[in-house]
Amino acid sequence: MQAQVDKYLAKLIRHGLIAGEADAALFGLDDVIFTNRDSVPAEASELFSLLNINSLLIARPEPMLWSIIGQLADGNPGLIRPRDCESLTFIHDIPVVPSLDPGPVARALSRRKGCIVRDTGIVTTGTVSLEQAFISMSSICFATFVKFFTGALNAAAGHSGAAPVDPAKRSACLELLERSAPRAFVEPLPRRLPAATEDEAVRAMDEAGRSVVEAGLVDSFFGNISCRDAEVVYISQTGSSLDELPGYIDRAFMDGSSTCEITSSSELMAHVRTYELTGDDAIVHGHPRFSVIMSMFGEPLEFGRTRFIGDVPVVAGEVGAGSRGLLHTLPPAMEDHHCAIVAGHGTFTSCTGSFAPALRRLSSIELMCYRACRDVLEAGKTG
Amino acid sequence: MNAYDYRIRALFVDVRSREAEFRELSPGLSGTFLGGRGIGALLLSDNPILDPLHEQAPLVFSTGALTGSRIPSSGRMAISGFSPLTGTVCSTSVGGRLALSMKRSGIDLLCITGRAVHPVVVAIDDGIVSFETLSLPLDAPLSRVFGELRTGPGSVAAVGKAAFGECRYAAIMVDGVFSSGRGGLGTVMASKNIRAVTVRGSGTFPVHDRQAEEDARRDIIRLFDASPAITGRPGLKHFGTAALVDLMASRRMMPTANFRRTYFEEYRAFSAGAIHRRFSPKHHACPGCPIACKQKAHSEIPEFETLSHFGALNENADLDAVIEANRICNEDGVDTITAASTIACLAEIRGECYTGARLVDMVRRIADSSGDGELLKLGSAVLARELGAPGKSMSVKSLELPAYDPRGAYGMALAYCTSTRGGCHLRAYPISHEILRKPVATDRFSFSGKARIIKISEDLNAAIDSIGACKFAFFGASLEEYARGFAAVTGLQIDHQDLLAAGDTISALERHINCLRGFTRKDDVLPLRFFTEPGTPGPGIEVPPIDRAAFDEALDRYYRIRGCTKDGTLTLKRREEIEQCRHR
Repeated sequence: MQAQVDKYLAKLIRHGLIAGEADAALFGLDDVIFTNRDSVPAEASELFSLLNINSLLIARPEPMLWSIIGQLADGNPGLIRPRDCESLTFIHDIPVVPSLDPGPVARALSRRKGCIVRDTGIVTTGTVSLEQAFISMSSICFATFVKFFTGALNAAAGHSGAAPVDPAKRSACLELLERSAPRAFVEPLPRRLPAATEDEAVRAMDEAGRSVVEAGLVDSFFGNISCRDAEVVYISQTGSSLDELPGYIDRAFMDGSSTCEITSSSELMAHVRTYELTGDDAIVHGHPRFSVIMSMFGEPLEFGRTRFIGDVPVVAGEVGAGSRGLLHTLPPAMEDHHCAIVAGHGTFTSCTGSFAPALRRLSSIELMCYRACRDVLEAGKTG
Repeated sequence: MNAYDYRIRALFVDVRSREAEFRELSPGLSGTFLGGRGIGALLLSDNPILDPLHEQAPLVFSTGALTGSRIPSSGRMAISGFSPLTGTVCSTSVGGRLALSMKRSGIDLLCITGRAVHPVVVAIDDGIVSFETLSLPLDAPLSRVFGELRTGPGSVAAVGKAAFGECRYAAIMVDGVFSSGRGGLGTVMASKNIRAVTVRGSGTFPVHDRQAEEDARRDIIRLFDASPAITGRPGLKHFGTAALVDLMASRRMMPTANFRRTYFEEYRAFSAGAIHRRFSPKHHACPGCPIACKQKAHSEIPEFETLSHFGALNENADLDAVIEANRICNEDGVDTITAASTIACLAEIRGECYTGARLVDMVRRIADSSGDGELLKLGSAVLARELGAPGKSMSVKSLELPAYDPRGAYGMALAYCTSTRGGCHLRAYPISHEILRKPVATDRFSFSGKARIIKISEDLNAAIDSIGACKFAFFGASLEEYARGFAAVTGLQIDHQDLLAAGDTISALERHINCLRGFTRKDDVLPLRFFTEPGTPGPGIEVPPIDRAAFDEALDRYYRIRGCTKDGTLTLKRREEIEQCRHR
């Protein structure tokens, strides 16, 4: 379990979720506690005794994010309700408690997978592995970031239901936005698709997946990626981390003739349908923050309707294959544009020849959305 | 209804005296043991060392608090007793309409004791108990029994020829195709001279907070839709549990030739794809379940375990024979897993292989008690011992292992041994994380961290079995969402940690009962084969024997975490805590 502790501490830093090792305490419990700390603080011991868990993460997000969370918590005492799609599905809402007093924190964690502790940071748990605690931490950071800027944009634009924002707050918001600018995107090697061999396909997916994570275009373990070779689709497994794909790629068939794909991404059918409609060779799906924020800007998009950000279609749809699932709305949009944003969820891009064009498009859409966010805020500032 | 009003309404029936009495369990007990399997264990603990077939040994039919609510996939219930196959405490989760019918009849729980003078049908109509007789002979196929008894919208639980023929692993069949299979509770029911329990009800039951119930329902459905294992193209919603055939074969953990190998080259003969191409089966479901994992064509399509064990375990690639074997088991009331495994055990001992028509004939003989059936009906542990080859029984505590080879999933290996009803995959269900990656993936070839994971998973599944929910729901949703549903329905201020705590109490109580019945560490072990023989390798997959020292260390850790001594019995402190819980 010590290996898990070390792995997720490194990941917290690599993903930019915390500023340094000192900002996170990770605990994994089998019959004894493993941790990155010299000793186990009383609060952690107490939480383990109050909760039937095997993993605990207490971390202070990097300063800018922590400042955003603080402002959000000020306006939402007790409970933050994110509206983005992944949060609605998986974390529902985020309790806020004032201090690391084990009693109230345990009560919050008895209800939800993680909570915000105002004087400490984010506390999350797992019953199977530290990976759960890491995912919840990452998801809370993503959800709060999106909620904060969506609220700021709607307020700046004077949309109905949004509270007016005073000029000082808007300036501070712009400053935070500047500091959150999308990272530079490093293109992976242009490996040819369809791949000549299965190994080549895995290598191409591995490199593409890592470049998506390194560019900050996906949070935690969400997002998925695939490439097609005639009747075979290579696709990342459900819950796999895009920067750790080798060993976690399923071989699915276009015609569904094997059920081995039961461990594939929940978006497998959307990928298959997109391949059928576009004839493309590769699909990349990330959760770029500003693309998600811009897709939630303004009135909520109704299921079945499409709007555009620049030339990029935005469609509605929940995760998976339910009656209101993105399976029904995403592929038709992809057929015409080879890219689409699913409102409140993330961006899909597809292409032929290699992963490179899809990755470039994912990155450029994010940059466009970032600039659009800035424009809205600045227009509000001058207006 | 306020929270205080949530009580379990129990009907106690003595079939010898034909007396029936209603009692309400205190809110404290309802909160601690929840319902379903938990309340079953509580009632068994009142007299924990009875012989399974003793007249006073109880047979408990217990619904969950969520039964009949709008919370998805919560129409299941537990049937509990002492197992004549294993000697342990035994509880099975069963679907069909029985749970809903009991609720509508005003009954949360039915506890039967005594032995009827003549074979009877216990008939319950809106809470009124009567005793009826059935003109059909005791060896009549169960389809005829159900045809005779099933009138209107109620439900029937019946035992058949195998149970009255003293097969130690007879099943209780519910509504024809839902099986309370493992451990031989059908034999217990037959020992009470009960042929069937029929339940009809027309009542309604309150829900504390309809809006909160709807909120929980919506969250759960959203998670079902996001789960590839449930609603994905290859998921349970489309292919039923047969969806697992391809996966288990590809992971090289499909028990083959009585667990001598872990890969069956001809598995595609009974894969989900093969079944769909041949039969285009229709789906059906327990009440209120959107997953609808049951499938039917000209005959019921067998579950994954049955497909794999009548297939690979017996080296049988004849799908028609698999389906026919399953049909016979349903008609005679036999647990398919134990039946298939006992036949495979006999085949290995004799150096033979029973496939096709020969396999079907063997299955038929189990309930007939004819020829090899005299031995087969005793289960593999007794059979192997009788034939001087005890090591050939692939069982733990005499319960035959299901279709997940423990060499391919070490959490499963540990869970088979710690399970309170013997070699069962459902008590901790580590396949969820070791294979299906839910809620997250774990390393299937490692014991690291598995002791606590298995302990928590046992608590989780004890809670699931006690609230009436289906385990498949947890391939998508979690106890977090179901706890909200539980609170909405009952009004009890309970969260998912409270449910886990109840699961911990239930698991510990079951272990304590087993210890009182003489089970110790020596019984918490896999057959030697798994520590000495490798499985079948595959592309990039090696399946070595399990390291015995690593297994023992993991078991030691499990005992410490569960509150046990090194011998596997509960510590004095833990026993006292459990005793306090029993008297709330």
